[in-house]
Amino acid sequence: MSTRDWKEWGLLAIALALAAVYLFPLYWMYVTSLKNSTEIFANPPTFWPQAPVVDAFPMVWETRTMATYLSNSVIIAAGVTAITVILGSGCAYVLARYRNIWIDVGLFVVLMLQVLPASVMVTPLFVAFSQLGLLSFPRTAVVLAAAAKAMPFFVVLVRATFMTVPRELEEAAMVDGASRAGAFFRIVLPLARNGILVCAILTFMTAFGEYIYSKSIIQTPALQPASVGLSTFVGPNSRDWSGIMAYAAIYVTPILAIFVLLQRRIVSGLTSGALK
Amino acid sequence: MNRLVRSVRDGTGFDILLIGAALLFLIAFAGVPLVYNVLMSFQQVDMFNLGTFFRPLVGLSNYAAVVAQPEFWLVARNTLLFVVGSIGGQFVLGFGLALFFARDFPGAATIRGLFLVSWVMPGLVVGAIWGWILAGDFGVLNYMLRQLGIIEANIFWKSDPSFALWAVIIANIWLGLAFNMLLLSVGLHGIPRELYEAARVDGANAWQRFWHITLPVMRSTIGAVLSLGLIATLQQFDLFPAITEGGPANSSMVSQYWAWQASFKLYDFAKGATISVMMLVLVLLASVVYVRSTRHEVRG
Repeated sequence: MSTRDWKEWGLLAIALALAAVYLFPLYWMYVTSLKNSTEIFANPPTFWPQAPVVDAFPMVWETRTMATYLSNSVIIAAGVTAITVILGSGCAYVLARYRNIWIDVGLFVVLMLQVLPASVMVTPLFVAFSQLGLLSFPRTAVVLAAAAKAMPFFVVLVRATFMTVPRELEEAAMVDGASRAGAFFRIVLPLARNGILVCAILTFMTAFGEYIYSKSIIQTPALQPASVGLSTFVGPNSRDWSGIMAYAAIYVTPILAIFVLLQRRIVSGLTSGALK
Repeated sequence: MNRLVRSVRDGTGFDILLIGAALLFLIAFAGVPLVYNVLMSFQQVDMFNLGTFFRPLVGLSNYAAVVAQPEFWLVARNTLLFVVGSIGGQFVLGFGLALFFARDFPGAATIRGLFLVSWVMPGLVVGAIWGWILAGDFGVLNYMLRQLGIIEANIFWKSDPSFALWAVIIANIWLGLAFNMLLLSVGLHGIPRELYEAARVDGANAWQRFWHITLPVMRSTIGAVLSLGLIATLQQFDLFPAITEGGPANSSMVSQYWAWQASFKLYDFAKGATISVMMLVLVLLASVVYVRSTRHEVRG
């Protein structure tokens, strides 16, 4: 091998080591969830479970009613994603298609709304929702609040996708007799489909982990999502680490699987929209 | 009527409908609440008048009451430390990793992409995992630091007032590091290679190339990354309930968690609104920098 090859392999080894250090918390979550109750508190800690057990998983699934929590998370995330994609895609398209002072104003509004912290918005939203009677439909209320939080970011990312669709294709379709709406639905949307899909998945994953709105607005345990369910036994004085790590592992494994499968697309979707 | 339908199907009406629907939604569920929040910070809000919009105006007395709270300056100091510590850590480590992964070796892009996994994890789960890693008696971080000879006795990260805020900062650095790295990588990618080659011909060393080429060319990217970091740090909420709940004795309390506690633990909505309006001023300052530095890129 030449020196160049050796250097490349050396860099690869360092890169893998850095990734291993960075991903250690995830590894530690899985390893802890597989340890028995004495091994968890062993000193020195074991970095590989000596006697792996999976007891914590069925236990935490049953006692913490994870099926209910997770289905609520899916319902909330699906609602947020639906509203965000349906309203956000059209908005992103128009912001990408034209260039004038109104578009600049619209873009400015979207960028500014993107920065509002949920912890700022939750107080007025809660009070307003209680005045409007929306608190009787707490999951709907959370979906509306979280969709408003997710949409600006979605618009910024999807707008970048629409910018890559050549305008000429749309114009050609209209010359051939398609209406504006027809050209949008039959030409532009199919071409931007992949970008929209990636951003929709990102929106879904973010909403799947949403916490602050759900914690503040949903009081009935049967309607709460998995993040709130986790918060009932996590805090500065947690003891049940085996249960917490098993809960966390069940909660995030689907997200991690989707991420690993779509990693390349997610990263390129983020880089194209976020800054460039 | 017919003209309206025609316009929506095949004219400007179509565009106005598309953008109008989204903007109306955003105004209803983000714009109006924002204004309402400012209004509430000037009102007297209690359980009896919660249901009405017309509450007695009290001028600046909510603000005076918040500032007069004994923990106000502690929270302000903690918020500043949380922001500076988090952004500093994320930026320095993220920049280092971005520079490393900008080198040419097999698998660089794929391995770099793995770091982004932190970005899709629920904040509460990240907080729970770090809460376990940072645990005092059985935490693995204490074990590693002991083995490396950095500390002699265990640090009680979550219950020692001088470390509690740092426990959350460490978790937040982990969480934001990947995004910093990704955005800085995009910026590095955009620097023409010829600049470096020309500098090399002129005899510039690695440090000089970094200082005189990389940093100046990346100026707008760095501005965007730092202001986004400030925005994201002020948005960070989930780690606090999971790791310290602002304790012990408010030693890790920051404005965003304080505002939430005022509203949802003490049911003092006026106080919650007031704290969050004060925080908002900081966020808006950051977003002006952000919008300015992304302006030409976003307009594309």
